[in-house]
Amino acid sequence: MTPMREVYWNIPGHLFLYLLFFPFLVVYVYGIYRHTRMILMGEPAAVLGSMWDRLKGVVEDAVLQRRIAKDTVSGLLHRSISWGFAVLFIATCLVTLQDYLGIPTLRGSFYLYFMSLTVDLFGLAAIAGMLIALARRYGLRPDRLLLPRMAKSYNVLLALFLIILVTGFLIEGLRIAATADPWGRWSPGGWLASALFRGTEQPQQVVLHRVLWWFHAIIAFAFIAYLPYGVGMHVTSAAANILLKNREGSGVLRPIDLDRAEQFGAEAINQFTWKDLLDLEACTECGRCQQACPAWATGKPLTPKGVIIDLRDHMRLVADGEESRKMVGEVISQDVLWACTTCGACHQECPIFIEPIPKIIEMRRHLVMEEADFPETMQQALRSLEERGHPFRGASASRTDWAKGLGVKTVAANGPPEILYWVGCTAAFDERNQQVAAAFAKLLQRAGVDFAILGEEERCTGDPARRIGNEYLFQMLARENIAILNRYGIKKIVTTCPHGFNTLKNEYPKLGGSYEVVHHTQMLADLVKEGRLRLEKPIDGVVSFHDPCYLGRHNGVYDAPRQVLGAIPGLTVKEMGRCREGGFCCGAGGGLMWFEEKIGKRVSWERTEEALALAPQVLASACPFCLIMFEDALKVKDAIGQTRPLDVAELMAQSVE
Amino acid sequence: MPGTLVLATTKDGRLTRNTLELLAGARRLKEKLAEPVAAAILGTEVGSYVPLLFAHGADQVYRAEHPLLEGYQGDAYTLALHQICERAQPTVVLLPGDVMGRELGPRLAYRLQATFVAEFIDFDLDQASGQLQFTRQAYGGKAVAVVQLRVNPVVATAKLRTLEPATQEEGRTGEEIRVDVVLEVSHLKTRLIEKVQEEATGVNLGDAKIVVSGGRGVHGPEGFRVLEELAQVLRGAVGASRAATDAGWVPPSWQIGQTGRNVSPELYLAFGISGATQHVAGISGSKHIVAVNTDPEAPIFKVAQLGIVGDWKLIATKLIERCKELTQV
Amino acid sequence: MNIVVCIKQIIDPEVPMSQFKIDPRTKRQVQGNNPLVISPYDANALEVAIQLKEKQGAKVTAISVGGATTIAALKSAMSMGADEAILVNEPLLAGSDQQGIAYALAKAIQKAGACDLILTGCESGDWADRAVPGFLAEELGIGYVGYVTRIKVRDGQVVVRRVVEDGYELIEAETPFLAAISSDETNTARYAKLRDIMAAAKKMIPVWKAADLGLDLERIGASAARVAITDVYIPVKESRCEMIEGNTPEEKAAKLAARLRDLKLI
Repeated sequence: MTPMREVYWNIPGHLFLYLLFFPFLVVYVYGIYRHTRMILMGEPAAVLGSMWDRLKGVVEDAVLQRRIAKDTVSGLLHRSISWGFAVLFIATCLVTLQDYLGIPTLRGSFYLYFMSLTVDLFGLAAIAGMLIALARRYGLRPDRLLLPRMAKSYNVLLALFLIILVTGFLIEGLRIAATADPWGRWSPGGWLASALFRGTEQPQQVVLHRVLWWFHAIIAFAFIAYLPYGVGMHVTSAAANILLKNREGSGVLRPIDLDRAEQFGAEAINQFTWKDLLDLEACTECGRCQQACPAWATGKPLTPKGVIIDLRDHMRLVADGEESRKMVGEVISQDVLWACTTCGACHQECPIFIEPIPKIIEMRRHLVMEEADFPETMQQALRSLEERGHPFRGASASRTDWAKGLGVKTVAANGPPEILYWVGCTAAFDERNQQVAAAFAKLLQRAGVDFAILGEEERCTGDPARRIGNEYLFQMLARENIAILNRYGIKKIVTTCPHGFNTLKNEYPKLGGSYEVVHHTQMLADLVKEGRLRLEKPIDGVVSFHDPCYLGRHNGVYDAPRQVLGAIPGLTVKEMGRCREGGFCCGAGGGLMWFEEKIGKRVSWERTEEALALAPQVLASACPFCLIMFEDALKVKDAIGQTRPLDVAELMAQSVE
Repeated sequence: MPGTLVLATTKDGRLTRNTLELLAGARRLKEKLAEPVAAAILGTEVGSYVPLLFAHGADQVYRAEHPLLEGYQGDAYTLALHQICERAQPTVVLLPGDVMGRELGPRLAYRLQATFVAEFIDFDLDQASGQLQFTRQAYGGKAVAVVQLRVNPVVATAKLRTLEPATQEEGRTGEEIRVDVVLEVSHLKTRLIEKVQEEATGVNLGDAKIVVSGGRGVHGPEGFRVLEELAQVLRGAVGASRAATDAGWVPPSWQIGQTGRNVSPELYLAFGISGATQHVAGISGSKHIVAVNTDPEAPIFKVAQLGIVGDWKLIATKLIERCKELTQV
Repeated sequence: MNIVVCIKQIIDPEVPMSQFKIDPRTKRQVQGNNPLVISPYDANALEVAIQLKEKQGAKVTAISVGGATTIAALKSAMSMGADEAILVNEPLLAGSDQQGIAYALAKAIQKAGACDLILTGCESGDWADRAVPGFLAEELGIGYVGYVTRIKVRDGQVVVRRVVEDGYELIEAETPFLAAISSDETNTARYAKLRDIMAAAKKMIPVWKAADLGLDLERIGASAARVAITDVYIPVKESRCEMIEGNTPEEKAAKLAARLRDLKLI
């Protein structure tokens, strides 16, 4: 006998189902419409890149949910719930196929293996996932879900879904019992449920089945209709967000067309782009961004999750005409805005590619360019940038003092070299970092590399200006630099500063400057591989490498510095817990090099303590800001005798000689 | 008759150190120009200072008393000095490089159609031209300029604490000339409403033998409480760099530097001060400079005689303790 | 209320020693790569003027004696909030002493129209003669107070706070009068809003010459200067600093105390 099941057994008038669904559908569509309209109050945004790649992304992150699975328990419960939901939904639709198109989905092996067994297992998994989710959210109560506040509608969502699943199995159990289904065992969940009804009379089973069936249908429709009104919206918006995600790196900020822009930065919610607003909508308040945020970890009021949900709630109030607060300063306070180091950990963690950094930057842009209301020390840095082309007010050196006596060539005097060494402002004007520039220059000379520096013609790449929020100053500096670089016909650049590296490589092309840019660790790694630099002298000890955010997370360069360190004989490399893409910021990015942290603990101290726990002889990094931060922190902690902060180039220089 | 005219000022019944410095300068000029030294003293009852002025080198004293000359008021003093100068016809008028002198100098020079020289640190007679030339700092103390007069007379303000104060000679006398100044309320365009003292220890910064000073490295007004305690133990005054006064941690009158006070104490203790030329310009007369800074490359160490690299607060606190013990013996 | 602020454009005074050079021919600092800025105290003066404008409504005009590069400084003043700016660019003014400059400024101010308050910096970041304000006040025949940090207008009366050696004074002044501004924490020059920078970039700044001002040429220029700058040089400094060593800050401090006792300083 062919395995089969009667479609809509015991449900006469099942056609009424569609009629019943209609009002719920309307409510659902209206909800989607409301959200879409709200999002569309934002400014236009371009969606670039191939749709094919984007769809692949949807499969990876919306279907397979790789990022969610980085947290094992979450991955388990979310996949079982979401896949369970998907499979059950597909299965229900397949029933319709048989009903209207005569495709035999409820017949034969397909019926047994898929419609019965697989679907049931997914349903059971979904229930298990649901229970784990409830236990976690309301039992364990982890910080990342609870803070800054618990999302409101998860309880409704989870409860509704649980009811649907449970009633679903009950209905299946009742059918199996009432029809004495010979293939009942193929549906393990239903089979178990049918055991509950062994004691009931068949006619009662039939009645119960019918009642529960319609109840289940209504709850299911209610669930669907409710989706756009609570956190369930994320099912659509998260998928949309993944599809439309920004494909440029987290180190690249959006330029402003200064001539045409009506406003600089965002003062009101509708001055964000619709994509920004979609981000707000898609947030499920999972808190992974918060957990990774160095500002939050050190007691600042900034949490990326907080920024997103506060802006989201503000957006809804504005859409309803009920908001009286100012977005910048009241909804999002200045303390929050100026605590962000733009480290990108939040971008790295978000399973659905929400980007808090651009929102913060747009608000900073408003404060800096429209209001001129921002921290005094940053004002001084920007003023110095405007007047002197570098942010270090009071610096007593010139751009070439570090190179005195080293015989370093300048482009002006010696003509364009094979590769330009972009020294950067910090290495030129900060005494500690001058040593790094000197070490690197000597290594290049040792390897016989044809390089030169711009010397006095070099100006800041503009990274601090852009991160602090003065886009005008950034573009001015960038254009000046690009003009000089193009005039000399520079094609290749190496730099010891990851911030300069990121800006030159990723942000200058939009302004007319395209060059091949490498970071000094990449170059040094290549030189070692090619045998042009030999590391002979051993350095005995333990070194821990701190991944600079603008080299690592924003640009994916993790291996080159480690290759260099690994090639130094005698050196043992110990990784910190938060390393590579999980690296913890030193605290100086986002213009915060020029900001005195007054709230909470210093970010640099937090990171330094993590390093000190490994008791390394050397804390290595590849960024001038990180170096300054560690020098200060280690001095304050009186640990500078035991652990020395060094740049990778300095370590290499010691081993080459 | 031609000569050098010095504006004398008094405080607490004595001639100020500024006056003594100017008189010393005037006596040097006397040697070069072979012209007498005159002092002008303004006020309400200034008779008692006349013998003091003679004792410190004045050959003549122009005494101007008028109710409106009680306490410095710009219009009154300018008018009075102008009238004195019309009587005295000096070749050189010396004023102190303080708030008063710096205000008076250009105004008097304008009315006398005289040359004006600001903040000189030295002067000499140019042998070739026979003209007086003055040396002064320029560009925030980075450079030194030599200026020569083309027109007599000259009104010059002296940078305080660069000239050694004149010593007293017992038994010296001279000529006292009373000047009846014509001065009316209608001449005065400004009126003093209130004066507020803001000194930390009661020791005047310009007179102190020991100055304890703080800069950006002190990180806030609370840090200055520690420095005040140290200053009190050492019986000195408290000063600050421009970074600290601009930040509002301490009153602007505490600022030492090119754009603030010039001090020349026996001992100058600089805590958390980087030593920018702008600041150093105000302490170059100090006999001993001690610098405490966390940065071993700080420029202050290039001008200090003693230096410590370390946390200023720990060092100052310990110093207070040790100095208390030492000064109690 | 009408306020005039006199500003001067100078070479960045925070140029490090290694970049500071004197041209032996002109006896002035070589600009080189160094930027030109508004003299710092003049910037404070602008800030005071603009704060008054915000509090009681005033028209602020910035005036400067200079050359073509000075336009940038005046635009900067306008982006901070000055309503108008005027440049006096007269080649015959070259070589003028402080009195000559003050004379030219006075004529420009008179031409610009009646004003209640004139603000200048208390001293310029380069020469620091502290003379032009006094001369200017005399030329205009108005009252003058130096080292003013704050200005309030109460019932039509101007009250200024000015810094003296041992504190500060509150002085009432009748307008019109001139205040030379010094800095404190309330008058730090503000950062300009981008919109204002872009607007200022488009504004026209009138350039006046000797003829426009009716200047008596006998009173300006090098020939009228009463003082001649015969030399400007960079003095050579040398000194040795004895660094006090120790394992802890406390130890170093104790050694210092002992040293000072040896030197009979304490």
